[in-house]
Amino acid sequence: MTGKLLVLDNIRKNFGAIEALKGISFSIGKGEVVALLGDNGAGKSTLVKIISGGLQPTSGRMLFEGEEYQAKSPAQAKDAGIETVYQDLSLCTNVDVVGNFFMGREITRKVAGIPILDERAMETITRKALTDAGTRIPSLRTKVEHLSGGQRQAIELNRFVHWGGKLVLLDEPFAALGVEQTRRGLDMIRHVANQGIGVVIITHIMQQAFQVADRIVVIRHGVVAGDVERSKTSPDAVIEMITGQTLAGAGPASG
Amino acid sequence: MTSQTRKILEFVLDNLVWFMLAFVLAVFSALIPNYFQTGIFTNIIEASSVLGVMSIGLALVIITGHMDLSVESVAALSAMAVGILFCSAGIGIGIKLSPEWLMVPVSLLVACAIGALIGFFNGFLVVKLKMSAFIITLASFIWVRGIVLAISGGRSAQDLAPAIRWFAIERLLGIPLSAWIAIACFLLFSVMMAKTPFGRHLVMIGGNETATFRAGIPVNRNLILAFVMAGAIAGLAGWLLAIRTSGATANLGVGLLFNAFAAVVIGGISLKGGVGGLPGVYAGVLLLSSINTAINLMGLPANYTQVIHGLLVLAAVLLDMFKQRLRARLA
Repeated sequence: MTGKLLVLDNIRKNFGAIEALKGISFSIGKGEVVALLGDNGAGKSTLVKIISGGLQPTSGRMLFEGEEYQAKSPAQAKDAGIETVYQDLSLCTNVDVVGNFFMGREITRKVAGIPILDERAMETITRKALTDAGTRIPSLRTKVEHLSGGQRQAIELNRFVHWGGKLVLLDEPFAALGVEQTRRGLDMIRHVANQGIGVVIITHIMQQAFQVADRIVVIRHGVVAGDVERSKTSPDAVIEMITGQTLAGAGPASG
Repeated sequence: MTSQTRKILEFVLDNLVWFMLAFVLAVFSALIPNYFQTGIFTNIIEASSVLGVMSIGLALVIITGHMDLSVESVAALSAMAVGILFCSAGIGIGIKLSPEWLMVPVSLLVACAIGALIGFFNGFLVVKLKMSAFIITLASFIWVRGIVLAISGGRSAQDLAPAIRWFAIERLLGIPLSAWIAIACFLLFSVMMAKTPFGRHLVMIGGNETATFRAGIPVNRNLILAFVMAGAIAGLAGWLLAIRTSGATANLGVGLLFNAFAAVVIGGISLKGGVGGLPGVYAGVLLLSSINTAINLMGLPANYTQVIHGLLVLAAVLLDMFKQRLRARLA
């Protein structure tokens, strides 16, 4: 298991009497794109929240870059280099585009010892990041509440591309995007992975998973039902893993 | 619509309360005899200092999407503490410090510390125990006033030490120093809200608390700090109140909460959080104060002020709705 970015070892999570995760183990390599698939309620979002510090696992352990890792808050996960794009967008719609892009990471300059927001510097960087990604937003000083769903999602995606880190978790990032924007989003993911950043993407759309992922991990009823390289499987086989028509036989041993 | 007209319209919407203030002042000056004179205007500014300071604290907490109903009682308690310590008549024990000016920072510290402590108590319960800010601060509103009544025994303190009184008497450009303190507070906290990361984070927490938490912003710490600030600012308002009345009575400042509320809402701060700025609140306070002055000058019974304030709050909420619709159409 050398060269692995994140290793999950027997992660369990109980909500009261309900076992959401019953011992999840898999790993993500540097520069690798892993598509996490599974039916509704399979435990994908719970798993993402555990990695990103939003939830604590009931038991099990994680190794991040070979070291014991356990985030108690999203802030700790970010400090470790793990970025997350959530299913329900994490934007403050009452603040402008620049403010959202730099949320929690504002550039400041000291005036008499007091940190003052450096709006101009932040606007320049935001404009460059958005232009590079081909996202068009008329005014960066518009409050996000006035933007369309697609534009909002584009801001989130550009934010993770810009901040990068070491591992990126994407929880259904393309739900509100059009065809062209989705294609661009998938390109973005490849671009990020090529820089050596690990990517975990949750999606419901088989086609997207096969377009972008190196490896496909299927979760079913809180356990890993399949962990296969993309090139060695087919959409039909994956669907069977998701719905449970074949058991763990589709895993790496036989794949 | 061209971008030019759109920009102008946005600007007008953002600063609507200032235009209202200018309009109201112009109308009063034209229609009410003796309204248009410097003395009246400085009087408006002077009369709005206590309310203004208190409104800042209330606005801070409302911007984060919470509520602080205790500011009025906190101000009363701070005023009473200052009164008891530094008044020489009534229930005052008349502590003397030498040099005399030392009484100013000490009394100020006492007032703000009492406020900050109650603010911390409120904030801790709201944030850590996830209790409703409305209920917690309503309780504080009641029990803090109860303490004021208990420690004063319903009696009052008079004759505040002259060294402290100095702030209400001494004038700079015709405006008493106590009013300058209020103006300085507005400037200071406006800069904090608009220009520092802390202020920006408070606005964002009011907009989407989950998002700010996920972004790694220390939401709980910031929220508790906002409550502590609101308390300390209310303490400062109490200090100003004690100075203005040269002492403290058990029912000092009753009704200020609702005026502060009116000022905050009229000033364009949305009760759902995340919207509005402090300069607007100051305009709201001045607007209320100008209307009070007009009522006084016209010789109407003072009881009407309450009716007018109530209607103003209603008008402000309606206006807020109207503004939001207009903005949605602009976008």
